[in-house]
Amino acid sequence: MTSAKAANRLQLTVALGLLLFLQFYVRPRLFEGRYAPDFVMIGLVLLALRSGPGMGAVAGFLVGLGSDALSPARFGAAALANTMVGYFAAQTRAFFFADNLLVNAGFLFGAVWLRDLIVLVASGSADQGLATSLLVDAPLQALTTALAGTVLLVLFGGWFRIRLDQQ
Amino acid sequence: MARVTERWESRRDTWLFAGCMLLSALALLMPASWGMTVASGLRTTALAPFVWLQERAAEGRTSRTRFRAVASERDSLAELSRTLSGLVDENAQLRSLLDLTVRTGPGFIPAEVLHQTLPTDGRTLLLDAGKVDGVSPLDPVVTPEGLIGAVREVDQHTSIAMTWAHPEFRVSAVSANGQVAGIVGPTSTGDASRTGLEFRAITYRDTLPDGALIVASGLGGVYPRGVPVGTVVGVEREQLGWERVYRIRPAAQPSVAGHVLILHGATPLRIPAAFAVKRDTTDSAAPGAPATPPPVPVATPQGTPADSLARARQHRFRADSVAAAAAAGVPARPAPKAAPAPSAPADTNGAAR
Repeated sequence: MTSAKAANRLQLTVALGLLLFLQFYVRPRLFEGRYAPDFVMIGLVLLALRSGPGMGAVAGFLVGLGSDALSPARFGAAALANTMVGYFAAQTRAFFFADNLLVNAGFLFGAVWLRDLIVLVASGSADQGLATSLLVDAPLQALTTALAGTVLLVLFGGWFRIRLDQQ
Repeated sequence: MARVTERWESRRDTWLFAGCMLLSALALLMPASWGMTVASGLRTTALAPFVWLQERAAEGRTSRTRFRAVASERDSLAELSRTLSGLVDENAQLRSLLDLTVRTGPGFIPAEVLHQTLPTDGRTLLLDAGKVDGVSPLDPVVTPEGLIGAVREVDQHTSIAMTWAHPEFRVSAVSANGQVAGIVGPTSTGDASRTGLEFRAITYRDTLPDGALIVASGLGGVYPRGVPVGTVVGVEREQLGWERVYRIRPAAQPSVAGHVLILHGATPLRIPAAFAVKRDTTDSAAPGAPATPPPVPVATPQGTPADSLARARQHRFRADSVAAAAAAGVPARPAPKAAPAPSAPADTNGAAR
């Protein structure tokens, strides 16, 4: 039982490592511009859906801190946004069947859009820029992220199927 | 028992969430300089492998489309450089005739932009060149299209550039014909691909047509003169009949810029330094006149104030010459109507040029 648990965690670690590789190596090579899928967000949402809200919040905070360091327009904005996304993603799994592919895609879409909303508000965007970003840019990036997440779940779904908080 | 465990887990989750929120709020509220220090520390330690990985990806991003774009740019530049050699020679001859020093342009450091996924990515850009490459804070960042911004913070191998979409960005600018000068800043603080620029502090009597090119004036000591900032697309607003603010379409877009040039060694525009004369110009300056020229307070690309100063000094020197001649017993000649030839002694501060 213990070895199975360790194997599951190893599988999940490898999957998250793959997502980091996709984010920092494959994404810059394949995509240009703002609408590239956010693989780190995929990892955060899938991790939060399979662990508890506390773990989701901590993971979101760490991911956000990293994002703030790499794009320091307003330090702390991404940490705040990702903390909330991680926490609420884990909370809402009680209301949905989180193993459904479409539900996961919907979670990813909502997570990216919510993250963008909080980041833009926290970093003090003006009304005009905020509206454009939220109605045009954020949905497009959320869509590509949801599509990429769906493809990844089809390919590596088994690796994310475990429930960390019930082992 | 299970209920107690669930309650404990729920309480733990709440505390963890509250703690993370509190830390995020602290990060958000702390001074910007502290935030930059923490960000720099994270980039050079925990995030260094990821930045390294992204740098490798940016270096290897040589798709067919990109190769074609670069080849097209190279062909255009080759054609342009064919005609430039004659201009360079002609300029050198003219500067030599006027006894001007050689104009030294800034060097540049090429850098790849490591784009991130946050919506605020266009306000600041992570560049893959740092201290080891010679980058310094406040170095201007440009693309072939125009001005992107300036370097804000430098690490060993990376640097952070503040783009024109950042709320704190300002550049002293002037119309390409040199007639209208002002300050350019961002209109709003939204996404960089949507944010525009404003050309402010334009007096009401000055008008700019749509499509007029706005370039950096060189004042302020950060951005070199002549770098395109954008083009006028209309009047944004008018204030109380004394100021007109123009809307500017930016020349370069930080959100889509993949490759930039960091200008290094650009010196601020100072007329005495930029137009230093090589020979002694004692002329007939009045006894007791200062050996070094007085500092010129302002300089504009079109040189209007400078020309005014030069004319004033020219009159003074001429008067001094007449006075000196009268003291020596030489009959005074009428003042010439035209300006002196280039071979005439230059004034001491060089502002005439």
